[in-house]
Amino acid sequence: MEPRIGVFICDCGGSIKNIDFSLAGKKVAKSSNVAFVDLSSDLCLKEGKEKMSSSLRAKNIDRVVVAACSPESKRYVFQQVLEGAGLNGHLLSVVNIREQCSWAHGGDVTEKALQLIQMGVNRARLLKPIEKKEVPLNKEVLVVGGGFSGMSSAIQLSRLGLRTILLERESALGGRNRDLEDLYGLKTNSMIKGIEGDKNIEVFTSSEVVRVEGRVGDFTVKIRKGTEELSRVFGGIVFATGYETGGDSQFKSSAHITSPNGLAHMLQASNLARKPRTVGFVFDSSDENSRLPAMATLNTALAAKQKWGGEVYVFCKNVKVDGEGLESLYSEARECGVVFVKFEEKPNISAQDGRVKIEARDVLLGENTTLNCDLLVAEEKFSPSQGTGTLSSLLNVRTDSRGFYQDENVHLYPVASERKGIFFVGDCRGDSGPRRVVTDVSSVVTSLYELLGPGKIVVERDRVKVDPQKCRTCLTCVRACPHSAVGLTRIDNGREVAEIWDLACDGCGICTAICPAKAIEFEGYSDQQILAQIEAIGVS
Amino acid sequence: MAFCCEHSAYSAADLAGRLALHCPENLRVIPVPCAGRVDTLHILKAFEKGAAAVLVLGCEEGACHHLTGNTRAKERVKHSEVLLKEIGGNGRYVAMSNLSPNAPHKFVKIIDEMNEKIKKSGEVR
Repeated sequence: MEPRIGVFICDCGGSIKNIDFSLAGKKVAKSSNVAFVDLSSDLCLKEGKEKMSSSLRAKNIDRVVVAACSPESKRYVFQQVLEGAGLNGHLLSVVNIREQCSWAHGGDVTEKALQLIQMGVNRARLLKPIEKKEVPLNKEVLVVGGGFSGMSSAIQLSRLGLRTILLERESALGGRNRDLEDLYGLKTNSMIKGIEGDKNIEVFTSSEVVRVEGRVGDFTVKIRKGTEELSRVFGGIVFATGYETGGDSQFKSSAHITSPNGLAHMLQASNLARKPRTVGFVFDSSDENSRLPAMATLNTALAAKQKWGGEVYVFCKNVKVDGEGLESLYSEARECGVVFVKFEEKPNISAQDGRVKIEARDVLLGENTTLNCDLLVAEEKFSPSQGTGTLSSLLNVRTDSRGFYQDENVHLYPVASERKGIFFVGDCRGDSGPRRVVTDVSSVVTSLYELLGPGKIVVERDRVKVDPQKCRTCLTCVRACPHSAVGLTRIDNGREVAEIWDLACDGCGICTAICPAKAIEFEGYSDQQILAQIEAIGVS
Repeated sequence: MAFCCEHSAYSAADLAGRLALHCPENLRVIPVPCAGRVDTLHILKAFEKGAAAVLVLGCEEGACHHLTGNTRAKERVKHSEVLLKEIGGNGRYVAMSNLSPNAPHKFVKIIDEMNEKIKKSGEVR
């Protein structure tokens, strides 16, 4: 049966002035397959939608072209009208005659609008309905890393009724800050107790992830627990693998020299033989990636001042305070009496009479400054936890230039990875800190609850589809897919062919373009549909 | 003719319209979900249908919503350029540009510059 296309042209409440609508309407009506043309000025309002809906039914229309504002603003509204009238929401082509036609040009643009509508009609003619289906989701969540962020995620997930397995590489939970309870006010020990008593949380210690297969709602994870290996299925995975310090410090740790992390432990210890009276920090980083070291320095300098009194000096090139809460931390440190000395050239550091001598040129005073201190706190290197590289290649997710996990989108989806159902939380993202971890955890937990809470999800079926007859199993699409949404399935004759997982697919069409056999069809953006639009530029 | 990634260039074009930044009327935009969806076939078809220039507009490098879409598109544009030369497409142009969704001025600039180029070569209809 030939498609019957309904074209609805709207002047957006009179905001489109340089198009001759009645002329456009008359000309469009002559195109083949166009069964009905309607001019309106309030298509997205209640009356307009009702009128559109009744004309769809009355004229027996099965493809719709809406020529109005940008599809980015109102496509969803019109899709609902179609669905309300018993049509599949995908049988709609929205033509942007406002932002990209009327408003983008000065003079009369009826000709251009006509051509754009023709492009839309050509596309609409080839549209096919996309059915929806319900997919069950596994509601269990795997949290990798039993530090502060991992534990808080597990606790909050459990409160929302999602069963959680908490995986920890070490033999006990707690992570880096286990012994630093008082310093940062992180209630790690009570958290550990809470987790032990929580029936919804299962703890695997001395365990590691070996392999991850599958997709959101159905990840099969192979876990090595001690010497045995086991396989479990999860709906989502949260990585909270944290960071490591040390490695390439230029100083050997001694009674007089330590790192911010070492100082934190000294501050926590109650049985310190002698409190250092003068503490000098040397902090050299000033590049983009110095957020974690800056935070460690500010935190411990402030704590040392508050807990021990005495004098605290921070020799620094630049303190980068672009992280959340860093600016106020810096101000607080200064108000408490921590002295910051800005240098350009690296300070000279030498040992003298059992103390450490720091010599630097203060560029603000323009004078040389010398400090004899009881304790030197030298900067240390912050790197992702051991195994982060292996895990990221295992999962096929990106890392940044330092090897930390990369957010899918810094502004929009800061804790999500490019793979649906896999999240990162806390310091494994590279620049975090206690305050940010709290917001991170909440956003991961709400995202996971939204995704897995109902236990099922409605997805569009076969929007991107592989033709098993054309597929030659070259695996190009499997390698090219940025969201790891292509897998293999066995067809009737025993041959394996590519299969797109609807749930994991983000609809970019990279596989469709790259397939050498042209075996992948992307409904809405298929070759024919794109070519049909190009076709229209030749006619005029 | 411009293939615009719906994550960047298409939004930029919308924004240009909202800001009433005028661009040449001979522009035709085809939205694509990602610049990586654009195939050499589509580019060559546009020339066959009389386009004087084809632009593929995707996200900024390193910021592609689908990670590798814009780099793949770039390769395809390069390939199309070679093919275009082989079939004697003198005075016609194919180019790839990257922009972010909040860059309407850049969008208009890209279109204007290309329009100047094809005007000079006498290909603009």
